[in-house]
Amino acid sequence: MSDHDHDHESSAALSNRVKTLVAQLEQRDLLTEAKLDATVETFLLKATPANGGRVVARAWVDAAFKQRLLDDASAAVAEIGIDMSHWAPVKLRAVENTDREHNVIVCTLCSCYPIALLGPSPAWYKSAEYRSRTVREPRAVLAEFGVALPPDVRINVWDSTSELRYIVVPRRPQASEGLSEAELAALVTRDGLVGTALL
Amino acid sequence: MSGIHDMGGNLGLGAVDVRDDGVGFHHEWEARVFAINRLLLERGLYTLDEFRYAIERMEPERYLAASYYERWLHAIEVLLAEKGILS
Amino acid sequence: MTARRFHIGDTVRTRAHGNGGHTRIPRYLRGRRGRIVALAGSFPLADDRARGVRDAQCTAVYSVRFDAVEVWGPECDANVTIAADLWESYLEPEHA
Repeated sequence: MSDHDHDHESSAALSNRVKTLVAQLEQRDLLTEAKLDATVETFLLKATPANGGRVVARAWVDAAFKQRLLDDASAAVAEIGIDMSHWAPVKLRAVENTDREHNVIVCTLCSCYPIALLGPSPAWYKSAEYRSRTVREPRAVLAEFGVALPPDVRINVWDSTSELRYIVVPRRPQASEGLSEAELAALVTRDGLVGTALL
Repeated sequence: MSGIHDMGGNLGLGAVDVRDDGVGFHHEWEARVFAINRLLLERGLYTLDEFRYAIERMEPERYLAASYYERWLHAIEVLLAEKGILS
Repeated sequence: MTARRFHIGDTVRTRAHGNGGHTRIPRYLRGRRGRIVALAGSFPLADDRARGVRDAQCTAVYSVRFDAVEVWGPECDANVTIAADLWESYLEPEHA
């Protein structure tokens, strides 16, 4: 199953269905075009993987922040100006990769994803393949992303079944000592934050 | 309920298509569906769990054929009809 | 909410069956033994809210970690764990 490009109903038809729905909701005073636009703005324009990058870079340079992040990620990201309140009641948890353990995030029931810190999710995250196989054979799935983990590195899979959303704190790249926090943040990729890439 | 959504551990699936164009929404209507859902949830017309359950109740063939935001659109339409808000 | 029934480090067993409707315990984790590794907040039970119950009481949610072998059997990659966030009512105490 692919997320797009072979919709069984054409995108034009779906677009018309959405137009009809919006018109009906407007008629009943349940929303307005302006509110729709504002909602897209509020939720989506602020939601980018750059947020996740800032969180991880701060954790790399500030051990006390990293501890607070691992203890209570929702509170820690608020410290650096990332507002999760629009996403309530969802809470955030950060899980840290080490040389012995690698973490990877999935949602087998749905496609739950920390959109505030990562932006809208990629098609593969929502695919039947990823949702089915990541919990059963994570090492093979990660290999398909080009991540080759030795057998002695334990993989911890986090299935986001309730109201927590997860981000992975990747290991800091080697030879990144001289970099500024902003430069470090730029090294952090969305896939790194899901656990499907190493940095 | 078919349980088609409950995918963890299912066998017989191929490799993950890891290609990614980095685009969150491929059509404007997808972002609008996202926003409609947020607004209707905020107004308390239904809960997120009712929304998820409406997706889970889709016919399995339809669930598998539908794109992600098409499922969302379906769930919104079903819930508004079931609650008598839209005919 | 009422007092938590379980604590970090407790061994638990998940309920063997779903409820026929919406639930947040995936099939692959039903009837499995796991260990509570973290508290995951307190939220109205999703199963109730999906049925339209508006004033569902908040109950405890736990992050429960399962060894892959417990879930998939001895043939799987044993150096894997799977964790899920599960409501208290999905869990029963189990001797370690």
